[in-house]
Amino acid sequence: MANTLAAATRRVLGSRRRGRGAAEVAGAVDAGDAALVADLVEAIGDDRVRADTAARYLASRDASIYREGNAGPVCYPGSTSDVAACVKVAIRHGRAVSPRGAGTGLAGGAAPLGQPVVLSMTRMDKLLEVDLDNGVAWVQPGMVNLDLSRALAPHGVHYAPDPSSQAVCTIGGNLANNSGGPHCLAYGVTSAHVVAVEVVLSDGSVVTLGDVTAEPAGYDLRGAFVGSEGMCGIATAVAVRLTRNPPAVCTMLLCFEDVSDAAATVSAIIAAGIVPAAIEMMDQRCVRAIEDFAQAGYPEDAAAVLLVEVDGPSGGVAIASERVDGIARRNQAISVRIAADEDERARLWKGRKSAFGAVANVMPDYYLHDTVVPRTRLVEVLERIYEIVDRHDLLVLNVFHAGDGNLHPILAYDSRVPGTDERVQAAGREIIEMSLDMGGALTGEHGIGVEKREYMNRMFTEVDLDQQSRLRASFDPYCRMNPGKVLPSAHSCSDIGALRAADAAGVWG
Amino acid sequence: MHLGLDDDELVACVACGLCLPHCPTFVITGRDTESPRGRIALMRAVQNEGAPVTDDLVRSMETCVQCRGCETACPSAVPFGHLMEGTRAALAGAGRITPRWQRLALGMLRHRRLLLAGSTLLALAIRLRLVPTRRLGLPARMPLRRPPLRTSGDDVWLFTGCVMDAWQRDVHLAVQRVLEAAGVGVEPTGGAAPCCGALHIHAGLESETKAMARRVMAGLSGDDRPILVDAAGCGAALKDYGHLLGTDEARAFSARVYDVHEWLAEHLEELRSRRPVDPLDVTVAVQDPCHLRHVQRAHQAVPAVLAPFVADVVALDDDGLCCGAGGAYSVMEAELSRAIRERKTAAVARSGATVVASANPGCSLHLAAAGLDVRHPLELVDQALAASRS
Repeated sequence: MANTLAAATRRVLGSRRRGRGAAEVAGAVDAGDAALVADLVEAIGDDRVRADTAARYLASRDASIYREGNAGPVCYPGSTSDVAACVKVAIRHGRAVSPRGAGTGLAGGAAPLGQPVVLSMTRMDKLLEVDLDNGVAWVQPGMVNLDLSRALAPHGVHYAPDPSSQAVCTIGGNLANNSGGPHCLAYGVTSAHVVAVEVVLSDGSVVTLGDVTAEPAGYDLRGAFVGSEGMCGIATAVAVRLTRNPPAVCTMLLCFEDVSDAAATVSAIIAAGIVPAAIEMMDQRCVRAIEDFAQAGYPEDAAAVLLVEVDGPSGGVAIASERVDGIARRNQAISVRIAADEDERARLWKGRKSAFGAVANVMPDYYLHDTVVPRTRLVEVLERIYEIVDRHDLLVLNVFHAGDGNLHPILAYDSRVPGTDERVQAAGREIIEMSLDMGGALTGEHGIGVEKREYMNRMFTEVDLDQQSRLRASFDPYCRMNPGKVLPSAHSCSDIGALRAADAAGVWG
Repeated sequence: MHLGLDDDELVACVACGLCLPHCPTFVITGRDTESPRGRIALMRAVQNEGAPVTDDLVRSMETCVQCRGCETACPSAVPFGHLMEGTRAALAGAGRITPRWQRLALGMLRHRRLLLAGSTLLALAIRLRLVPTRRLGLPARMPLRRPPLRTSGDDVWLFTGCVMDAWQRDVHLAVQRVLEAAGVGVEPTGGAAPCCGALHIHAGLESETKAMARRVMAGLSGDDRPILVDAAGCGAALKDYGHLLGTDEARAFSARVYDVHEWLAEHLEELRSRRPVDPLDVTVAVQDPCHLRHVQRAHQAVPAVLAPFVADVVALDDDGLCCGAGGAYSVMEAELSRAIRERKTAAVARSGATVVASANPGCSLHLAAAGLDVRHPLELVDQALAASRS
């Protein structure tokens, strides 16, 4: 047994196919990790553990520009018991655990700090149960958001929160960040669509928070868990609420010669008492970046476009879309286009939802914030953003959930040009400060992660932050779950030693 | 190690991850090391950060099917194919991939007579049950005799290639009959253009591929006839000569290359107007070869050409995900290749079709080995035309 295990561990640490020198194996992973890896392999099998540099390097990052992550061994659990077993092994070895979905996060939430054991949830991607009576489905956290809605389609229902990355991002990641999406304007964000969660806690025990049939007695621990960015435990099954597909949908593209006309239209639509399913805004530079790929017929000469969707019973949709059309024209819209069929509608949304990914058509790097500002101040905020970006000699693509004032100013740049990173950071900081000064909030949907944790002091008082820290500690008293995120350093676990001194050389060291 | 990759192409990935669900290996393993985003990050680590080329990093590159499904999914149009081909060229140059036996086997494809004779021997050995066909991913039956290629005119070239001509000449003949039914005179390329080099460039043998490209171009120069290709992989390779060689001559050559369906879709009226045709009474699922869908981006021509000749054409519901064949991939990475294929066979089963149409020999061999009834789309058209003739 011991020999087999030793061989399996060697396989995980080294290559499967060809021998490699001892020096290379030693370079692949800390010597101290050999025992940890052996125990992980024993717990979940050698095909579910990787400890080589390539795997660890890639598990050290997400889609943000944060590059200081440093992963320990990477596990690919297939079940709740695998997750519990990994957590127990990690704790026994004094190591933390960081969960990971599709790695599409934009705030470094999945970037592991201090070489924790990384739990990549991609293989827990099954739809476990569809309970139409209760309007609920149980899914594993690694299931891709869009795959869930596709699997539900035969039942005439879908999962409402639809982040732009929904074709890739996982339900677990959505849960961790309490993610939003274009359609959350009418339907609400993730928290409104998760009724119960099965969680592996930091001691390896398994609990269920919330209830499928009724609101459980006592505190709403489910509510506390949603948006906890992996710091309160690892979700291993999620009960999501099913939303009936609307009987009718109308998707409209409104084009403007002036950004302020577009912003005024957004306010006028809401003020008229219409609640569209979505109101999205993109400025000219953004439209130009996406149109080549999406081929959706976005006008590249408009200063700004609005993508407005109304849904519901067909009579109501007809009335609402007519009113939106009128409001847009009164606010100097140069054109109003209504998607004629499902194909045209899909292409319009494809354009909107590929905006971040299309940035490299303009510049190879981007950095964005997702502050929320009062909708009434949109015009003013946009003008300030353009001014800040000009002053720092940068480019900005604006794409955002206009209906709820959730901005996504994408600073596009080329990090190969010396001095650019500093200018980008400075501009980002100014945008945050400005948004908060306008009465806004730090993040709408991308989470705090590591990127924004130092801004938490700007938003919350010491008392607030202490309370948040205590809430987290009640789930995870020893700060072993995804440590170092959300709470600023004075309140995070870094000061109590859970974070190993990160190897400055990174995983290739 | 400097991989010799273009820096602008290499930095163009913003790691959004929209490629992940379109990558056949990521979908199976769920590991970033087997994803386009991960592979690009590793290329950057090696070329820009001086990371060592570990065996696991090499495995990450070797497991790529090179289907290029990630390219059509990428909003920033990252040229992943170039990056992977460049990386493999560097790794092959350093002796890290493409072992000697594989180089020898690929070398044989350039020698047409040797390949034809060897294929006949192989066919004989298969008949005598001396070869474990299933394990090697070979067809259960191969032709012992090949009818000769014949020239019927000089309107177009029909590119016949290497393995396909040796193993599936029947397909070429069926394609030629269909073209002739549309009133087109066809000259098969035969020995004039022995092999396109697609498998070689995928294996990182860049200089060999360039030599082969020059030979193909020399064999087909002297006129500007369209070059029609009935194998998606070959068509994609020939269309890439412009990029591979970087010369005006090569670019002009590539501009003459069409997938045969792409060309026929523009000449459908000639084919249909000559005589009324009864559609074959079959429901056909169209499998889009990746190098037709993601590289040539001409896959929509196949159902357009096929539809008038069969009762029903159905699309698969798997977003054009690769079948796992990948040229030599099905042999080199047999386990992963079969796992990928299972998703395709499941999609075919869901479609309710009894016949699968595939416009690429590698895909059709790979899918037939899983027990599916696979035909070249134009074999079905030829069959419908023949039935109407009688």
